[in-house]
Amino acid sequence: MNTTSSYNDRMHRNGRIFIVLGFSVMIAVPLTMWFVTGVAPDPALFFPAFLTLSALQLPGGIIEVITYSPMLGTGATYLAFITGNLSNLKIPCAMNARELCGTDIGSPENEVVATLAVSASTITTTLVMTLGVVLLIPLTPLLNAPVLQPAFNWVVSALFGALGYKYFRSNPKMIPAPLLSMILLGLLVPKFLVGNLAICIVLGAIVSTVAAKILFDKHWLGGQRP
Amino acid sequence: MLWSQGISLATVGEIKESWWMYALAAFVTVFIIGGSLYFAIKAYRQSRELGMPKEMVRKAVVSSVSFSVLPSVGIFIGVITMSGLLGIPLPWIRLSVVGALHYELMAASVAAEGITVTTMTTQNLVTIAFVMTFSILWGGLFAVFFLKRYQKKVLDKATAEGNKGFGKYLFDAVFIGMICAYVGDAVAKIVRYDTRVVVDGAYVLDEFGQYIVEDHKTFVPMIVLLSSMAAMAGFDWLVRKKGVKWLENFSLALSMIFGMIVAVVLGLGGIL
Repeated sequence: MNTTSSYNDRMHRNGRIFIVLGFSVMIAVPLTMWFVTGVAPDPALFFPAFLTLSALQLPGGIIEVITYSPMLGTGATYLAFITGNLSNLKIPCAMNARELCGTDIGSPENEVVATLAVSASTITTTLVMTLGVVLLIPLTPLLNAPVLQPAFNWVVSALFGALGYKYFRSNPKMIPAPLLSMILLGLLVPKFLVGNLAICIVLGAIVSTVAAKILFDKHWLGGQRP
Repeated sequence: MLWSQGISLATVGEIKESWWMYALAAFVTVFIIGGSLYFAIKAYRQSRELGMPKEMVRKAVVSSVSFSVLPSVGIFIGVITMSGLLGIPLPWIRLSVVGALHYELMAASVAAEGITVTTMTTQNLVTIAFVMTFSILWGGLFAVFFLKRYQKKVLDKATAEGNKGFGKYLFDAVFIGMICAYVGDAVAKIVRYDTRVVVDGAYVLDEFGQYIVEDHKTFVPMIVLLSSMAAMAGFDWLVRKKGVKWLENFSLALSMIFGMIVAVVLGLGGIL
């Protein structure tokens, strides 16, 4: 019998192997460039740049795993952390699939739904990119057309507007605290919010969770009766 | 060595667009698709074990594909943006594995300050590739070493009480916080929106090594967000009240298209 815990254990093992393989493939790219051209990276440029970016990416990466992995589940987390574009694509995609399928986070069914969603999303992105490269010459003028630029500049706003409606409608009592705090943040420190969106997502999540816990303890959430 | 000596005679422009860079990108693409298919097949088999309805599996896949097309076109435009400096294959690779456009642009700027497409050397290109790759491994490394432990200690406890405990609301709350952050982002851009100047696919620095920025404050993201929200409300009404069930899997994608059309119309009216 294929139990959920053994499935999860296998997903952890396979996911780790996939990440190690994925990192090997990623690292093979610059190493191949070095080998083929015979030109090594410049250590004087590499190390300061690596440290500067790592200072941002190390805490950011840890926060992303802590924040996003509950929504993705086991298999999808490993897959998403190799394929990237988490907050702007994989997370909303998995949450949309979950909403449509009506599964609960942490349930075996949701593990399946999230993994299928992230796999399908990844394959779609990869195929769109490949098709884009193959059709680059006819596509470039179209995609670079000034008239279409606003559409793709604000695709993430369109995404979160549409998805926001579904979550706001389902959980109206959970909206005011995080929404007001983020609107205030946007009005008072706009530069900080736009420049540090990843940090603000975590702040929003914390405010939202604390507010939801207070409502839950007062029996004011969902089907709870006071 | 002979091989590398032969290739080193090529210019950086030829290297960026060389057949072997395209071969590397194709290899990365095959790896990503193969890995995704592997996970999808495992999940599908698990769905059979759990006795999940086929309709649910189909819904998860169809809605995710329809949902992902437009953002994927946006990601591909990132490849075009970066191609001026780095050619097509390297941005294609970088945006296929872990990467994101803002990170890659930042990496290109930090790794080779002030270079342009005309002053770039082969060593600059190789260094940029190394920096982009190695600096972004942290999240994945953390997942490899700590995800299982984190899941057992925190997540399993949070969801252990099923529908009776707070766990049921916890993850909705986290995601709502995330959506609200994007609403805040749209509000912030009404007040101030500094964008870094990009020339030839990399951020531009001034003489003091600071990014050159321009304030492009705009109402457009908020209008787009509200438009797609309104469209979603309309589609949701059609699905729930009018029984237009086929719309369910496509309502999100169609709402996004509506929001994007609004952005284009605003742009045509000079509102950017």
